[in-house]
Amino acid sequence: MSDQSLIGRSLPRVEIREKLTGRAQYIADLYRPGMLHGALVGSPHPHARIVSYDVRAARAAPGVRCVLTGEDFGDHRMGAFIKDEHAIAKGKVRYVGEPVVAIAAETEAQARAAALLVEVRYEELPAILAPEDALAPGAAIIHEELASYFKVFEAVCGGNVCSSTELAEGDLERGWRESDLVVEHEYRTAPQAHVSLEPCGALAEVDAAGRVTLWSANQSVFRVQASVCESLGLPMSRLRCLTPRVGAGFGNKMEAHIQPIVVKLALAAGRPVKLVLSREEDFEIVRARHPFKVRVKTGVKKDGTFVARDVEVLADGGAYADDSPGVLGYSLLMARGPYRIPHTRCRGTLVYTNKLRFGAFRGFGNPQVSFGTETQIDEIAARLGIDPVAIRRKNALGPDDRWFGGQQLGSNGLAECIEVAERESKWKDRAQLAAAPGKRRALGFACTAHISGLLGTGAIVRLLEDGSVVLNTGAVDIGQGSDTILTQICADALKIPLDRVSIASPDTDGSPYNWGTTASRVTYTTGRAVFAAAREVERQIKTHAAELLECAEADLELRPGGVVGIKGVPGKELPFLAISARAHWRKGGPIIGTNSWVFDQPTVDPKRAVAVGLPFPQIGVYSFGALCVDVEIDETTGQIEVRRAWTVADVGRAINRGSVEGQLEGAFAQGLGFALVEEMVWNGPRLANPTLMDYKVPTSREVPYELHSYIVESPDPDGPFGAKGVGEIGINVVAAAIANAVAAATGVRLRQLPMTPERVLRGMLAAGASG
Amino acid sequence: MSARQTLVLRVNDTEHEVRAALHDTLLTVLRDQLQLTGAKRGCNHGVCGACTVLVDGRPVRACLTLAHTCRSAAITTIEGARGIADRLREAFEQAGAVQCGFCSSGMVLTASALLAARPAASVEEIRAGLSGNLCRCTGYRKIVDAVRAVAQGAER
Amino acid sequence: MSALKQLHFPQTPEEAARLLARGDDVRCIAGGASLVAMMNLDLVDPVELVSLAEVAELRGISATPDGGLRIGAMTRHRELEAEARLAGPLAVLREAAGKVANPPVRNMGTIGGVVALADPAADYPSALVAADAVVELASERGRRRVPAREFFLGLYTTALAPAEIVSAILLPPAAPGVGLYDKLARVAGDHAIVAVALSVTRRADAGIAVGRAIGGGAPTPVHDPKVDALLAQGRLSDAAAAQAGAALAAAADPTDDVRASAEYRRLAIPRMVARAVARARDELERAR
Ligand SMILES: Cc1cc2nc3c(=O)[nH]c(=O)nc-3n(C[C@H](O)[C@H](O)[C@H](O)COP(=O)(O)OP(=O)(O)OC[C@H]3O[C@@H](n4cnc5c(N)ncnc54)[C@H](O)[C@@H]3O)c2cc1C
Ligand code: FES
Ligand code: FES
Repeated sequence: MSDQSLIGRSLPRVEIREKLTGRAQYIADLYRPGMLHGALVGSPHPHARIVSYDVRAARAAPGVRCVLTGEDFGDHRMGAFIKDEHAIAKGKVRYVGEPVVAIAAETEAQARAAALLVEVRYEELPAILAPEDALAPGAAIIHEELASYFKVFEAVCGGNVCSSTELAEGDLERGWRESDLVVEHEYRTAPQAHVSLEPCGALAEVDAAGRVTLWSANQSVFRVQASVCESLGLPMSRLRCLTPRVGAGFGNKMEAHIQPIVVKLALAAGRPVKLVLSREEDFEIVRARHPFKVRVKTGVKKDGTFVARDVEVLADGGAYADDSPGVLGYSLLMARGPYRIPHTRCRGTLVYTNKLRFGAFRGFGNPQVSFGTETQIDEIAARLGIDPVAIRRKNALGPDDRWFGGQQLGSNGLAECIEVAERESKWKDRAQLAAAPGKRRALGFACTAHISGLLGTGAIVRLLEDGSVVLNTGAVDIGQGSDTILTQICADALKIPLDRVSIASPDTDGSPYNWGTTASRVTYTTGRAVFAAAREVERQIKTHAAELLECAEADLELRPGGVVGIKGVPGKELPFLAISARAHWRKGGPIIGTNSWVFDQPTVDPKRAVAVGLPFPQIGVYSFGALCVDVEIDETTGQIEVRRAWTVADVGRAINRGSVEGQLEGAFAQGLGFALVEEMVWNGPRLANPTLMDYKVPTSREVPYELHSYIVESPDPDGPFGAKGVGEIGINVVAAAIANAVAAATGVRLRQLPMTPERVLRGMLAAGASG
Repeated sequence: MSARQTLVLRVNDTEHEVRAALHDTLLTVLRDQLQLTGAKRGCNHGVCGACTVLVDGRPVRACLTLAHTCRSAAITTIEGARGIADRLREAFEQAGAVQCGFCSSGMVLTASALLAARPAASVEEIRAGLSGNLCRCTGYRKIVDAVRAVAQGAER
Repeated sequence: MSALKQLHFPQTPEEAARLLARGDDVRCIAGGASLVAMMNLDLVDPVELVSLAEVAELRGISATPDGGLRIGAMTRHRELEAEARLAGPLAVLREAAGKVANPPVRNMGTIGGVVALADPAADYPSALVAADAVVELASERGRRRVPAREFFLGLYTTALAPAEIVSAILLPPAAPGVGLYDKLARVAGDHAIVAVALSVTRRADAGIAVGRAIGGGAPTPVHDPKVDALLAQGRLSDAAAAQAGAALAAAADPTDDVRASAEYRRLAIPRMVARAVARARDELERAR
């Protein structure tokens, strides 16, 4: 690595000025000539048959140009795993708020006013609001046609069961026999809203030939394209998807939200249509994190060696499958944690209910199961009188171990993560921590792992006539910084300054396929494609240079600043400009490097593990992490305050240190909300807190300022410069670590989230830990 | 619909004549009529802070301010904020305090008013001062660091 | 769609009151922090609005002839939070002001707006009751005064008559003593789950006098003079505090909402009262 290397530095975001001057454009900031505004009518019922629509008054209302009901949509269904969802409710509604009618009018106010004039007649059906009720004999069926839906994997489903999955290794019965201590408990997590600060929105425009251009807040222009076309029966070539800046996505913008409806409105109205959801609608109709009920049973030897683990998950999927089968499967894959447990079985059931669909959310099921598994480890440690860090270290997966299911680990920095968190938090001196009067205080610890990977990716690197470069990947930068990181990788690979590389905005017409900004994957997968595409450009440059400088390609090297020259011969060199001009005008053709690949290492080794209903055959490579928190509990109220935190992640190689820290810190804050305050509350079938007044997320007061992030680098053999993903790992065990600290401080073991003052105080009173 | 009425708004030191309904919020008018889209609508309810603008130098919620009540006020949006705001921009860039950027306009404006009142604000004062501006991306640490860096510059 | 047709900018309280008398659909607007939020959600739809922004008399904090303070209705939370004269037992109001919402909303919201709205979860009502403040009301008929302890009648219901505005809040002269406001909320800037307002005055004659009230989660500030007397006679002892806490929890009839359950509030009230009383006692000791 030379001094000028761009890798590993905290370079500012390439788009930062735009964002700090108010000039960055998000979906709501786009305006097109002649643009109409959309509005939605939501279902008042959780489960009902749609009998009839009366939209005459709405059609006649001032400014209204178009009113669409389910009858205007064909019988096409979309879904990432199970194609069970129409673009708009058709025949039936399955949750309160589900869009049933869409309107386009000259102004937003007119569209919203007209929405109030729509009359829909329903025949109510029994509503299923709890997963247990979905499984009860004789329960109303939410998707009668489930059996006939197209599924992208071998789904084990039926009745209200959307998907069930099992993954097992070893011999559980033997495991229990060999255990000296078995601990078993049930854990519950709450539904969490993404609350990306920007609500979802879309803007569609149809050209004279009927081809549609769609801008939207999204995490993948390609998933948007696929979903819209699937749900409207459009050929994919008829739809072009673009993205403005995105006001963050945490899984909520990965699959479609209102894009199909907005496209249909634009097609029907023959004018551009924009629809940006209100915050309330964003809460009610997009998606959220699944509430999980997790039963965890762990068997250990007296010396703390983990022997057996049995996990059973019941996940509420809400009204549509969305990404849920993936979330369930992934949570089970994570339920053994980053430990050796020879006999493990994890089973899960995902059910349909008459609530908002639950789907992808940073962590993808890992925070839910980890709350159970990582707190249970502390319970075991306490029962055995072993230090919580020591017991984790003892059982931690080593570099030669395999992940649950049998996948080999290319790199594993877990031991170092544990060491850093232990050292930096002064874990060993924790007995000396002083609590303020009226408070209890303790440290809590937890470990985690997460994948980065999944599915197809490509990159195109073009050398322009003047020797500068345009990089095009189709990966949406949702704020996490991938535009900068990918630019760094490209510039570094070609040894040119950062500002000589521009990154193209994702465009389904011009960008190579990119599955999406999700699964902590962009740095790892797209970064790798960028690196390979840049290498291809380098190869072509060298072919030209070898001819021009009359030497062998192998004797050439790239020099800083966009120059290729003969190794060891300082004067013998050519600028990229000369090479590119030649390629463009005289010989060889424009220099374009491309690469595309798909992650293809199998998740399950059938010789080692049994998997049923697992929706992803290949998933990714593993990052590791450890977290320590310093928690203070108010004895009067039971309120928890996190005073300090040390979050550590093995990211293989940090391409941009500042961005890695930013991911760890942001994930911590979101995990803090999940742990302490965030809970979507349903009052019967209706969401009781769909506003930011009633649904609270942490502010700068709750997230500790002493939030220290540390980077461990155990390079992945296949990652770009060794990098692995970091987007999600920081959220996984925040709740568990806090719960462990609460238990250490008060003796109260909380097994339900969020850890409200109420739950803590009740626990303390029951335990006699507070007067 | 209530009729639109003419209104002169002084925004970023320039007087603009706009026609706005009486119930139109300052946020709507800035965005839809003056194309100043730096102020964002994150909640329309006063909670998130993405719509923050300065009215007579103080941060307010543009989503909770009726445009017609600003007839004698000086309004500053992120597009026109200078001085401390420029120092903050520099510091936000250095600290890596921006991810998606949706909160950034509000953060910079709120912080600039905070520092105008308390040039050497402490970390605790900054945490309290920014507590009405939600950021879902950063965990706040780097934002507080950026503001603190400017405050430390003022201490010297 | 909004029905709003007129926006008035009166210059005096009486003129404002006269404009309000034009009809039921006429409302006044102070900081707008609550009213515009309600308009955005279509919860209210006024036809005319009377802005109090240009009524000079409603602005500012001044001393009254009896040595007390007069706080104009348009005084912002930000100003109260920084008001040094809100000291001793009156500090309860300063502390409450500093805990309302968040800094930008504190630049907008006014004490008159909070008092007139009487949101059960608001912070001032209990502080004003504890401090034994008086609400001054203005109408075409003139001015009248209603003690805060009689002003808050129920959920969003007050002694404010139609076509009447809150013109000022009057506070008694500051005496030696302490005031404190303990607010429990889910996160900074949220409304209270439970708040305890306590104002303790040391008097030559009666030893100490106590005013306190519980806010957050009950329809009106929970206050009972007998409990004040009990605390005063018990000289803020732990035993008196425990008795007071139990009595208040019983009287509170708290609500169940997304912030917390009623049961939790009943549990937290006596504990927070006990803590507030102990703190007040410590501060009084220290001030001796
Ligand atoms: C995000 C957010 C968080 C909040 N958190 C809190 C909190 O934690 N604690 C808290 O106490 N409050 C909180 N509030 C409310 C805040 O304090 C409001 O500012 C206040 O309730 C209303 O004050 P205003 O001056 O803005 O009144 P407006 O919104 O202008 O008016 C409110 C109501 O009072 C009437 N009114 C106003 N002034 C008068 C007057 N002088 N005479 C008669 N009627 C009048 C209006 O007609 C209207 O009905 C919060 C508000 C927001 C937006
Ligand atoms: S949009 Fe104004 S505070 Fe959220
Ligand atoms: S950077 Fe995304 S909300 Fe703050």
